Amino acid sequence: MSPILPGERPKLSSRARLQKDKVTGKPILLYPEGILILNPTAHAIVTHCTGAETFEDIVAKLAAQYGASPEDLRADVTTCLDRFRSLNLLEMLA
Amino acid sequence: MSRPIPRPYSLLAEVTYRCPLHCPYCSNPTQFSRTAAELTRDEWKRVLDEAAELGALHVGFSGGEPLQRPDLAELVAASCAAGLYSNLITSAIGLSRPRAEELKAAGLDSVQISFQSDEEPLADRIAGTKSHASKLEAARLVREIGFPLTINIVLHRGNIARVARIVALAETLGAERLELANTQFYGWAFQNRSALLPTRDQIEDATAVALAAKNRLLGKMEILFVAPDYYGTRPKPCMNGWGNRHLTVNPVGDVLPCPTAGGIKSLRFENIREKPLRWIWTESESFNRFRGTEWMPEPCQSCEFREIDFGGCRCQAALLTGDAATTDPACSLSPFREQLTRFVESIQGATEKGFEADTSSVAYRENPA
Repeated sequence: MSPILPGERPKLSSRARLQKDKVTGKPILLYPEGILILNPTAHAIVTHCTGAETFEDIVAKLAAQYGASPEDLRADVTTCLDRFRSLNLLEMLA
Repeated sequence: MSRPIPRPYSLLAEVTYRCPLHCPYCSNPTQFSRTAAELTRDEWKRVLDEAAELGALHVGFSGGEPLQRPDLAELVAASCAAGLYSNLITSAIGLSRPRAEELKAAGLDSVQISFQSDEEPLADRIAGTKSHASKLEAARLVREIGFPLTINIVLHRGNIARVARIVALAETLGAERLELANTQFYGWAFQNRSALLPTRDQIEDATAVALAAKNRLLGKMEILFVAPDYYGTRPKPCMNGWGNRHLTVNPVGDVLPCPTAGGIKSLRFENIREKPLRWIWTESESFNRFRGTEWMPEPCQSCEFREIDFGGCRCQAALLTGDAATTDPACSLSPFREQLTRFVESIQGATEKGFEADTSSVAYRENPA
């Protein structure tokens, strides 16, 4: 996979559906033959993957939301997005 | 039980055994229940609701060919209302545009189409009927309507040399997931295993091709390559454990821990016409018989892998040893492994042509009355 560019806009694939698990109340991503149980950070990231916000927008918004510096968050967001990409759950819009 | 009962994550709804194809590797039972005994629409709706209540998140509509049920869209709508992620597991025969649009409107989430090969004559010979061309058409339709598409191809001696071309076909069709699934030897496939099992060289070549394609297409197409456990040394962690994550309901309402468990004659499986699904999942003898690790014989009981592969597959143990409670003979530690290895060795050097050369050596899947 190519590295994520700052101006790329991640969009959750139409294969994936975000919903709340009735049993645990946790956010989950459902896709063909797969289930991801999301931790609060991954959940926050996924909600920004609408195709409207760039990678840098997302980092900046999460930094503001969590009171962290964008520098600290960039690696975590990248790791999380790459995990979704490797499962073919994200489109990266130019 | 010393541990809490787990929740099911997925339901396989085998809505009918009827199928227009006759694939000799079908894992359906060789002795079918009668079509007239199939669950009704309302009975299926109850199953879907009860499965979602138990915690299931996925439903696969399968069979047989699920499109043979005229009420399929209603079942899909019911699964959607219950919050289940739905997948249609289909041969695509019968998937017309109106039918596909009806399923989309009902809330179907994804479609999985089986192919038999990348090229028509061989594909049709494997399926036992002319079908490849209409599958191609249906796959294009599925993408056009906007369903995520999975392509599943069962690999065996007659088509495994074509993996590279099969990957290319999946790319051309815009599939987002490709399952390269070596034949699992149950049902019709078990009966035909001498004709189906690939040679060791074939497996090695296909594994390398599949791995290269997986790396090349990472992020574009998910590729799953399931190696045949007959060649392994550790058994597969079948269903991630008996009664642990999955349940199957067959066309007549029997509730099974896996699609082929009905072949285990020493167990009596409960039916949703007689008992609520929750009771069957949590309380029934059939679901608890092989749950956890307490049931295990040696060498499983003291094995460090017992929580990893769960003793392998109960159906395979039953088929190959006559006793579902023994270690899966695919395990190198099984006392029956030598016998399985002898079978595997007996097919080395067999013709790679398989179906190309001779279709008389296999029994094609038949349909229920």
